Amino acid sequence: MGEKERVATSHFSGRRPDQLLEAQLSWIASLVLFFSTVYAVLKVDILWVVFGIAAICLYVLPIVTMRNPFRALPWEMTMLLSAPLLLHISAGARSMNERFAWWDDLTSLAFAFSLATIGFLLTVELQMYTDVRMNRPFAIFFVVMFTLGASGFWEVGEYVDDRVFGSNFLNSNNDAMTTLLWTLIGGILMGFVYDLYLRVMPKKRLSTFGLIHFYEVSKWRKG
Amino acid sequence: MEERLKLASRAMQAGMLSIAVAGLVTANYTWLPASVLSLFISVIPSILRRDLDLVLPVELNFWIVFALFLHVIGGFSGFYDNVPGWDHLTHAMSASLIAALGFVVVVSVDKYVESIHLPQPFLALFIIMFTMAFGVLWELMEFSNDQLTGSRLQYDLNDTMVDMMFDAFGGFIVGIAGAHYLARTTPEHFVDSLRAEGAKEKISRFLEKRARSKGGK
Repeated sequence: MGEKERVATSHFSGRRPDQLLEAQLSWIASLVLFFSTVYAVLKVDILWVVFGIAAICLYVLPIVTMRNPFRALPWEMTMLLSAPLLLHISAGARSMNERFAWWDDLTSLAFAFSLATIGFLLTVELQMYTDVRMNRPFAIFFVVMFTLGASGFWEVGEYVDDRVFGSNFLNSNNDAMTTLLWTLIGGILMGFVYDLYLRVMPKKRLSTFGLIHFYEVSKWRKG
Repeated sequence: MEERLKLASRAMQAGMLSIAVAGLVTANYTWLPASVLSLFISVIPSILRRDLDLVLPVELNFWIVFALFLHVIGGFSGFYDNVPGWDHLTHAMSASLIAALGFVVVVSVDKYVESIHLPQPFLALFIIMFTMAFGVLWELMEFSNDQLTGSRLQYDLNDTMVDMMFDAFGGFIVGIAGAHYLARTTPEHFVDSLRAEGAKEKISRFLEKRARSKGGK
């Protein structure tokens, strides 16, 4: 029995069952994210590898720096992060795509949600780990802008991938523009959602995650 | 150098004016609205300077006029159709222009808003994403225009994607150059050189005056 083991078990003692359930949901979603990324690596699907690694880094950072598995991101955020990757790699999704016209729009929207989530995590974690400071309007603007900009780079990346490696992501200009339109809609929607998110989250739940939003701590001043 | 840039800006403005006049005289109205609008945008910095005492860097001023001039002369002389890559050139120009204006705004925000602090690497990231986001909005605008009015602003996938690559290119150049520039001068010095302090005071004095005259009624 080393010192470390006792510290590790102490994280679990005194947890409410709902806290444990939430954390477990988040861990499962992160495992989905992890194995989907491994799959993307094996398939040499470069864009999705980049996406997966970025999402995993943002997920792991609070857990590692605070050495506490309960600092895992809220499960709903983790699910939003892993959803588009899962939709992308699963074979069931491909047959759905052929069967339903709206399936493609759904995956585009899921992708927009996950990009917005990454943008939001950036605003939170940049403030936690660097000396970047934002106020609320700026953070919301950043989330929407990040979603749009990232999807723009994404489309260009898919195009280059098609050209260089002969993949088949983009069929037509219409295709690309519809995806971008959905990311615009999804980005603005998530801007509103994340504007409210930390405000309406119960204090207890917020403190479990240890997500600090500096614009909530109004005392901060430059200098 | 500064004088030469100013002279070149004036020459290009004269060029745009003559294009507008020529269009009017020859009843060739296709590019008349664009040239008049561009001419108007190109004098905005001068208006800002006169009314608010806000001074944009000469290089930026020149860049604004240059981008507008290329757009107008390209349309008027048919370069968009005849010169390969003209479209991409103007895209890179206007993207870098948007990036530069975004840079000016965001550095000013960093200085004047108490609850915002943006270190240089983040500024570079911000500018790059901002420019790309603007490029995406632009393409979406072209796309919806095509869908709604049946115009053909977008040719095909290749064209759109190369446009967006040039947008990204413009954003990268300005983002990195801007961070480099600030590393040498400090944001405070840069904002001071804009004389934004005076402009801020003028605006707040104007708003106060208006509030007072409203209250008086």
